[in-house]
Amino acid sequence: MFSELAWKNVRRSVRDYGVWFLTIVFGVCLFYTFNALENQTVLRFLAQNPKTNIVESIRSLIGMLSVFVWAVLAFLILYASGFLVRRRKKELGTYLLLGMERWQVARLLLAETACIGAIALAAGLALGVLAAWALSAFTAGLFAVPMTYFTFALSVPALGKTALAFAAIFLLVMVYHAFAVSRCRLIDLLQAGRVNQALKGRSLGASVALFLLGAALLAVAYAMLLTRGLLRVDALFWVMIGLGSLGTLLFFRSLSGFLLRICQSRRGFYLKNLNLFVLRQFNARINTTYRSMTVICLMLLLAIGITASSVGLNNTVSQMAEEELPQDVSLTFYPDGEEPVDLPALLAEGGFDPGRDCAFHLAFPVFRSEAGQAVARSVYDAFAGRWGRAAADAFLEREQLAVRPDGEAQGAWVNCWIFLADYAGDKQAAEEAFQGAVTALSELGGYGYTTRLDTWMDLMGTKVLVLFIGLYLGVVFLLASAAVLALQQLTQAADAAGQYRVLSLLGAPGKMRGRAADAQVALAFLLPLALALVHAAVGMTAANAVIAEVGQVDSAASSAVTALLLAVVYGGYFLATCRGSRRLLGTGREARGA
Amino acid sequence: METILTVEHLVREYGSRGSVTRAIDDVSFSVEKGEFVGIMGASGSGKSTLLNCVSTIDAPTAGRIFVEGREITGLKPREVSRFRRERLGFIFQDCQLLDTLTAFENIALALTIRGAAPGLVEKKVKQAAGLLEIADCMDKYPYQMSGGQRQRTAAARAMVTDPALILADEPTGALDSKSAKLLLDRFEILNRQREATILMVTHDAFTASYCHRILFLQDGAVLTRLERGDGSRRAFFRQIIDVVTRLGGDQSDVL
Repeated sequence: MFSELAWKNVRRSVRDYGVWFLTIVFGVCLFYTFNALENQTVLRFLAQNPKTNIVESIRSLIGMLSVFVWAVLAFLILYASGFLVRRRKKELGTYLLLGMERWQVARLLLAETACIGAIALAAGLALGVLAAWALSAFTAGLFAVPMTYFTFALSVPALGKTALAFAAIFLLVMVYHAFAVSRCRLIDLLQAGRVNQALKGRSLGASVALFLLGAALLAVAYAMLLTRGLLRVDALFWVMIGLGSLGTLLFFRSLSGFLLRICQSRRGFYLKNLNLFVLRQFNARINTTYRSMTVICLMLLLAIGITASSVGLNNTVSQMAEEELPQDVSLTFYPDGEEPVDLPALLAEGGFDPGRDCAFHLAFPVFRSEAGQAVARSVYDAFAGRWGRAAADAFLEREQLAVRPDGEAQGAWVNCWIFLADYAGDKQAAEEAFQGAVTALSELGGYGYTTRLDTWMDLMGTKVLVLFIGLYLGVVFLLASAAVLALQQLTQAADAAGQYRVLSLLGAPGKMRGRAADAQVALAFLLPLALALVHAAVGMTAANAVIAEVGQVDSAASSAVTALLLAVVYGGYFLATCRGSRRLLGTGREARGA
Repeated sequence: METILTVEHLVREYGSRGSVTRAIDDVSFSVEKGEFVGIMGASGSGKSTLLNCVSTIDAPTAGRIFVEGREITGLKPREVSRFRRERLGFIFQDCQLLDTLTAFENIALALTIRGAAPGLVEKKVKQAAGLLEIADCMDKYPYQMSGGQRQRTAAARAMVTDPALILADEPTGALDSKSAKLLLDRFEILNRQREATILMVTHDAFTASYCHRILFLQDGAVLTRLERGDGSRRAFFRQIIDVVTRLGGDQSDVL
């Protein structure tokens, strides 16, 4: 009987459950996509390169970050559940009135949660598999990865992990429901429709004090971040994070009251059109929305911070690739025998003729001298003549070589031979010829080489990794916060439909009501964004200090990319929410019907 | 005397072809400036539908409605909202106050929507509050007030804009007898001092006894009319009871 009632309830309150359902589907989709990251085409392409141990580091990174993502999603779903129970208070009250026991009502909710949760989980996983696949195709195209690496991949561990993680969240939701039902009083449930939320009128003094306290906490956190830097993770680091979060919470908690009082003192603004209505609505909801606003602000901060740093770091890495190697190829050969080796001749035999394929080449022995390993003075001069004195000194430093007079080289014991060259003409063809020729050397001794193209590929790998993970996480957090805001605003709009009907009866024209609806959405979207931007500006100053140690910071490009991402994702959600809430509130028509 | 409201051969039908219900069947009447007119009838007699047609919430199937000589049937949406905010005042059975706004703000909203100057808003709201004796609960939220205070706040909101016509739909429906009497006394003062024209729908004989004139509806048609003339309210109340008893017969819910 209970399962029947539960199923009927689910079907009947599809609209109420819609929010909850979408939140879960979205959360499951994000979580799976994130955990299936290692299956992404680009990363599997990188994993082909044995030199870079990228996959292992990604795996541990995902492990750590997914715990965090899980916590965020758990909060969101619990939040959506609380919203659901509040909307159905009257119905729950009716059950109690009809003589149902509390545990029976709790069991009913449990059955409903299990029912809708299972469907949502399945839908979310299906969507997640599709999203991961689409993203894989998109990024593979972006980074010009050969299509042979691109396949439709299903990550079974990620599927299992997602199912487990959300089962845990559903368990939390059930506990929450049981708690909510056991605590409520019948009279409150039945009268829930009259006053949906308690409106506590806080005094101006309290609001100002809370506001100032929040600002002070934020200032302390900022000062700590700027003086201590970003990378010192110790006890004080967590104190700093805590202060920043608490400051943000207090800021949002007191902001609406503060804003309301300020506007009230400016009568010309307050008593104009629907301004007082918009501000009051905002203030009435802040008691339930300040927590989610805080979380959204912090998520936006993560999104902005991660996107901007990854773009900044990416540009720095590109710069480093330019500076790394002065010559196109550098080969070191350790001969088995002791007789002198003519490296250019050996290479020419293999099909790579330095005389033809190189614009410049230099082959010389490294010999043992009194001052350790050394090269001849004439070699040093030739090196400096071609690639500059600074590059020559850097080379000596890196290989730990001394410079001795040419005479000492005669008859000295040779440790290895070095061949340095710049390609002529088509570098890609020359590189292939070189790689073909160099294998022949293995019969005569051991060798190792680095080429500029190889190094560039390595750096590209790092670049892809940094940019990919960064943008990915950035988009995830941005999408999550925008989606939550949109859901929250749309459900609030559904609640406020009656009030907007009264406004229409009072004669407020559709245009005026539409602007009021937009203003409410704008307040909800822009306030967390504004504070997150301030946080991010301070955070990026600290992050840039870290990046600056490695290379030059390009803050213009990272700001531009972040702004673009924000405008597209967040702006898109904002506009869609405005349209949706206008539609729900019926601002395009006048109230008709009794 | 100036005619505020004229209703000519009003018909409102519900349902589709084959099963048509005629909620209002050829109703005609007019209301002069400064009149306090009641519409009585049992549940389902069509009185609320009639009020909805006059207030532009519902559109009639046939017939015409004029307010101050202007036809309001078939107004465009923009003209509808303009007509509502400039010519009409609404009082509903369940107040329909906005519960996130204080009483002051609820009343002020009717003025700010019209684009009134802030100084004028405060002055007029205070005036209206004084008239309806709710000056002491201006800073309270609707849920902090009694039902009577809420309904008088709604009345203040309806009259603060000096509308041509105040429409009241069962204003005492949810009130206890004491609050109802207080509210109706205020209506009387509004009507006398401010020359407010009030059209009120009710099924309560006591409430109706405050009116100057009463239309009795049955099954969508005007069955009879009753004028108070110069007689006392008590006498008028008895007359109403008589009519209701005569009409009612099998309708026990009217008394």
